[in-house]
Amino acid sequence: MKKQLLKATLLGAFTMSLMGSAMAMDYTIGISNTVQGNGWREEMVCAMKAEALASGKVKSLNIAHRNTDAAGQIEDINNLIQAGVDAIVINPANPDGVASAIKAATDKGIVVVAVDQSVSEESAYVLSNNQEEYAYLGAKWLFEQIGGKGSVVYMRGAAGASADDDRDKGFKRALAEHPDVKVAHEVFTGWQQDQGKQQILDYIATGIPFDGVWTSGIDNVIVDAFVESDTPLVPIVGADNAGFVGQLNSVDGLVGAAVTNPGSVGGAGVALAIKLLEGEKPAARTVLVDPELWENATEAGKAQLMAAADPSLDPEWPVSISIPGWTNYSKEQIIACKGPGE
Amino acid sequence: MLKFIRSHYWNLGLCLILVALLVFTRIIQPNYGASGLESLSRAALPFAFATAAQAIVVIAGGIDLSIASMMAVASVTAAVLMDGASEQTAIFVVPFVLFVGVCMGAINGMLIVFTRVPDIVVTLAMLFVWEGVALMILHAPGGGAAEWLKGLLIGSVPIYGVPETITQFIPKSLILMIVCIGVVWLPFRRSRFGLSVYAIGSSSLAAFRSGVSVNRTKIAAYALAGLFAAFGGLVLTASTGIGAPIPGPYLLASVAAVVLGGVTLGGGRGGLVGPIIAVVILRLVRTDLALLSVDPNVTAIVEGTIMVVVVMAGGLIAVRTRHK
Repeated sequence: MKKQLLKATLLGAFTMSLMGSAMAMDYTIGISNTVQGNGWREEMVCAMKAEALASGKVKSLNIAHRNTDAAGQIEDINNLIQAGVDAIVINPANPDGVASAIKAATDKGIVVVAVDQSVSEESAYVLSNNQEEYAYLGAKWLFEQIGGKGSVVYMRGAAGASADDDRDKGFKRALAEHPDVKVAHEVFTGWQQDQGKQQILDYIATGIPFDGVWTSGIDNVIVDAFVESDTPLVPIVGADNAGFVGQLNSVDGLVGAAVTNPGSVGGAGVALAIKLLEGEKPAARTVLVDPELWENATEAGKAQLMAAADPSLDPEWPVSISIPGWTNYSKEQIIACKGPGE
Repeated sequence: MLKFIRSHYWNLGLCLILVALLVFTRIIQPNYGASGLESLSRAALPFAFATAAQAIVVIAGGIDLSIASMMAVASVTAAVLMDGASEQTAIFVVPFVLFVGVCMGAINGMLIVFTRVPDIVVTLAMLFVWEGVALMILHAPGGGAAEWLKGLLIGSVPIYGVPETITQFIPKSLILMIVCIGVVWLPFRRSRFGLSVYAIGSSSLAAFRSGVSVNRTKIAAYALAGLFAAFGGLVLTASTGIGAPIPGPYLLASVAAVVLGGVTLGGGRGGLVGPIIAVVILRLVRTDLALLSVDPNVTAIVEGTIMVVVVMAGGLIAVRTRHK
């Protein structure tokens, strides 16, 4: 309490005398993420670090970043509470499972922001990508591209993950609107590159014809599999990963679409947490980041893809490395992936 | 006294490490107190049950790779049955889920005994089978849990006549852990069956020649492991309020705690006290690393290093005492 009072006085004094040009660098922000070793999540964590650094208002980040379940995330959040952080930004393992820990944090006056996926606990703020819309947009484009009839390979994410379940709803919605489209084959890639590639190679080897492939973001290796096995390309839908966007621009005969799913939402989450700490409240508790679709079937789409391409990024990283209006870091900062004090 | 120390040197050593770690935690975070211990004990709970399950199988000379998957089956079964049901219904759900756990464990054991395929192969296969079963019951995290079940884990135990300043240091989850494991383990350890489990773990041939029914004992040991895995699944559902079909990181953690807890991987030696203290130590190490804000990629390395060092040091002490 005393510390907070002091903080407020100091902040006030600073703004009065320097008109906000200098800010106290005294926030500690905790981060909890439950998937490690996946390009998208790595970008998310780097965006969090870069935003914390660029804001100039964060003293240090306390990062819990490992492969675990909801119970493990509860443990991580409790540890962050014990560490005395001012705010916690989480990518929730699932919407309901970590509610008790979020409640414990907000009861102690800690600001909690959930990014990427939503949480049911109402004391937390949510900045999430609209996963159902992500799948619907891509699937609808794919089904229209193949003329509204035929069969597609449906390459999902990880079985039992809530983001995968949301995307399945969107995919099924598009499927219901196109009754002549059939799912030829449904597999779970587990969001693993090697696994997804092997699965599509296995299916190609069966010789059963299909007209398109929808992927849950394991995309560039699918194109690789077609090219390497000399299989005629079919329309492929993926995410805005740098590798796939590059392929859409350069691979001969590849027709496809990239649906945006920015990992930089992590950076936006940190930005929101800082705003909340400074007493600024957003209009709504939940902000949904809606996806966009970039395809290379039309000239306008091609131009969008060309503008988005960024060969300097890791092929597994989404090209949308920042979210205008939310994030403040530079490209160099997110690629460097260094937080305050590193 | 000396005899007690000699026969329990491993557990005493672990206790010393735990106390040292607690002191260290208090130094780096002076505010670490009752609420810290409460969340530590709550975090340790599912790991403790997974470890108890693994320890029994390892003592019996086997290994169970399907523990985390069985926990997932128990967790989703409980969550589906309790979803939207009344608080009273949950009273019947708990024993049913425990029964399901015993059945799963018994199936593992029977497959090993009757097919004569090595434990590690059967339980590896069953890891996938139980994972599939869990996904069939619930394809994405969901379901619900009764409020009283959730309440069992949160907070501390009020004791009549004892002031709250003292009782706040006794987390409910710790009592739950001690009671659930103690009620099964203590009678087991003293029974003929318990002795048989140690015997077949030591040498199944010698046990057989002494008249122990090796097959029956093995199946029972796996069934008991299934029971503890079901307890683990139940506490997962109780702590998160939902069932999760994807198994958590409990398999490798259980093996780690069993080894650190002084149970010989070859079987026949060890108990449950050591592994449970080891579970708490491993959780507390994670808390400390979080408090110190250590790079998350370094965290895993530190955890692994501690394990190797402790087990090596323990092995060294064991060798030296034997030479004396």
